[in-house]
Amino acid sequence: MIAFAAALSYAGFTALCLAMARHHEQVFRSRAVPAGRRRVLTALGWGLLALSVVPVVMELGWGLGLVLWLGLLTATAMPLAMLLNYAPRVALALAVTPVLTGIGLLL
Amino acid sequence: MMRAGLPVPSAASLRARLPPGAELRRAGGIVLRILAGVGGGYAVAALSTTVLSLGLPMQRAEAVLTATMASFAVYAGAVVWAFAARNAWRACAGIAGTAALLVAVLYLLQGHLP
Amino acid sequence: MKEGFRQSMAWLHSWAGLLVGWILFAVFLTGTAAYLRPEISYWMRPELALSRPGPADAEVAVKAMQGMAPNSPTWFITLPSERETTTRVFWREGGGRGRGRGFREAVLDPATGHPVEARETMGGEFFYRFHFQLHYMSVLWGRWIVSICAMFMLVAIVSGIITHRRIFADFFTFRPGKGQRSWLDGHNVCAVLALPYHLMITYTGLVLFMLMVMPWGIDRAYPGGRQAFNAEAFGSAPPRPRANTPAPLAPVLPLVEEAQRRWEGGRVGRIVVANPGDANATIQLVRADSERISYNPQSLTFDGPTGALIQDSGEGRPAAEVRGWMYGLHIGRFAGPFLRGLFLLSGLAGTVMVATGCVLWAVKMRQQAAKKGRVGFGTRLVEHLNIAAIAGLPLAMAAFLWANRLLPVGMEERAAWEVHVFFIIWGLCFVHPLFRRGRQAWVEQFAAGAAAFALLPALNALVTQRHLLATLAEGDIVRAGFDLGLLACAALLGVLAWKVARHQPATARARRPAPKAALMPAEAAE
Repeated sequence: MIAFAAALSYAGFTALCLAMARHHEQVFRSRAVPAGRRRVLTALGWGLLALSVVPVVMELGWGLGLVLWLGLLTATAMPLAMLLNYAPRVALALAVTPVLTGIGLLL
Repeated sequence: MMRAGLPVPSAASLRARLPPGAELRRAGGIVLRILAGVGGGYAVAALSTTVLSLGLPMQRAEAVLTATMASFAVYAGAVVWAFAARNAWRACAGIAGTAALLVAVLYLLQGHLP
Repeated sequence: MKEGFRQSMAWLHSWAGLLVGWILFAVFLTGTAAYLRPEISYWMRPELALSRPGPADAEVAVKAMQGMAPNSPTWFITLPSERETTTRVFWREGGGRGRGRGFREAVLDPATGHPVEARETMGGEFFYRFHFQLHYMSVLWGRWIVSICAMFMLVAIVSGIITHRRIFADFFTFRPGKGQRSWLDGHNVCAVLALPYHLMITYTGLVLFMLMVMPWGIDRAYPGGRQAFNAEAFGSAPPRPRANTPAPLAPVLPLVEEAQRRWEGGRVGRIVVANPGDANATIQLVRADSERISYNPQSLTFDGPTGALIQDSGEGRPAAEVRGWMYGLHIGRFAGPFLRGLFLLSGLAGTVMVATGCVLWAVKMRQQAAKKGRVGFGTRLVEHLNIAAIAGLPLAMAAFLWANRLLPVGMEERAAWEVHVFFIIWGLCFVHPLFRRGRQAWVEQFAAGAAAFALLPALNALVTQRHLLATLAEGDIVRAGFDLGLLACAALLGVLAWKVARHQPATARARRPAPKAALMPAEAAE
């Protein structure tokens, strides 16, 4: 559950990044982010971030859950900030992890 | 915009352009703001703690805890205000005015001056 | 006007941060280490065997205290837990001379109740205490200084947030190898990504000492003193006076079982016995602080001789509970291994944030000096202190662990000398940059720190039986993990040393493309 939440928050941050010109360029070599894509990515990003709180709170309850969730946000955003610089493609590839961990949960 | 912000480098370049009197006024203003923020801010925080401790409509210990826990936010706010005000005199006046107001409320609450 | 506001906030941010930056760095780093206090203590006492808490611990500890301090007015017993393998006791000295302030303490073997046969050391307790009361000064002075620094920190955080207008746009921006801009990016990333933690740790740190630094409310509302406050706020029963009639203490095991039943399996963490051996004795069982976020003690108080329940303090009222939450969040003892890891990470982010802030200041001063063609005393001082405070402290921390392994076991004042070694090495780090200007000093101190950490597991293998291979084979994950952690610290410091060594001075580069760029808003350049 916690891994799923971490993956969701990582993916959410990645989507938010891609909606920003600077990071869009890092990954796709093009600074211009099409307006439609930007809107979708932003909405997706915030949505995933909001969603990531759900598994944590389900697992640990509100008190402990929220504390851990905030820690998770920090812990997932830090590697993303590093990866965007040193390995932007890897940063993007890792954003599919929610799917993997989600499948893992179902199985 | 933060990059433009930190005026550490700009202070020296300003020094070259400003007349000597202005430089002195600037330093004086900073000293005043520091006094208002650090000293005056603490006074405001202490007064607000006292007023809320006595005045909050809850059990006595609860009021004390709430007031004291909030005091650091008040202090930080006062310091920020002291440096955000348009000029040093406004900063001093704002802090002094708030303190006077709190003293007045305290007087109303307990019937005598602190 | 708008720009003026941002300018003054920036001014406030940089000065509030710089003035106490070096102390804040030390507080952050040792405070982060304090999350591992029991683990550090365990590693620093290699004589201790791996033991697990058992049901008889409380009984054994009380028996031991009856032997050691029968006349003491109060015993405080901290029982072992999953992380803590010893029973720690301290007690007020009794015997006629009034309410003497003398405290004595001992570390006991939970199984036998005898003082542990281990080297004398403060262990992780040193970092823990240093981070809120410093050392070589009265506890009160230290706490005031750290509280004042924390207040500066709070102001720096608030003014930093105001200054940093593009807080979301720059969320992930880190551009390495670009001199001043990289330092700023690093500072921002560490600050913003762990912002909830920074605000939490700073504010809750202030709240821990709030009645010391902000006593005005409580003094006015409780003119009669703080006992009435404690009773009303935390429901602590007023202490019962000594009856001066001897009476034996009831067995403690049934009380512990009673507590576990009432707390639905919750564990007893601490036992406080007042007036043991007296007819008016009380036994207070306090729930372990690893079980709830709130640090508000949930406790049961029993009559000493009969074992009858006198008082059951549960959850407090809202404000008391909020304070308990803040307290609990700060010390983080409720956190399991994973969450503790997140706390550690955030603590390190805070440490790096303070360090990059201090370095950033020096880098800017350097650029300004380069334009003027003269490096002032202030710049040199800041650079010097940066080296010693930032690169020197990890080296001193490693030296503390070295001292733990190298000082003779039977030495007089051994625990104190471990601390002296820490400060001697740190002191030398303050002298060293006098002879090695600039980057050289950075590189050498980081490299020395890396070497000191890297060699610790080797030293450990030479002088104790608890080397990495042995601990791994025994399944002693705490000691094995600690040795591996030391190697990780070494790697980190090594990378820093290497990076600094091959770094091109930022000023030289920044000046080449456009002399004006340093002063201009970077956004204008973008």
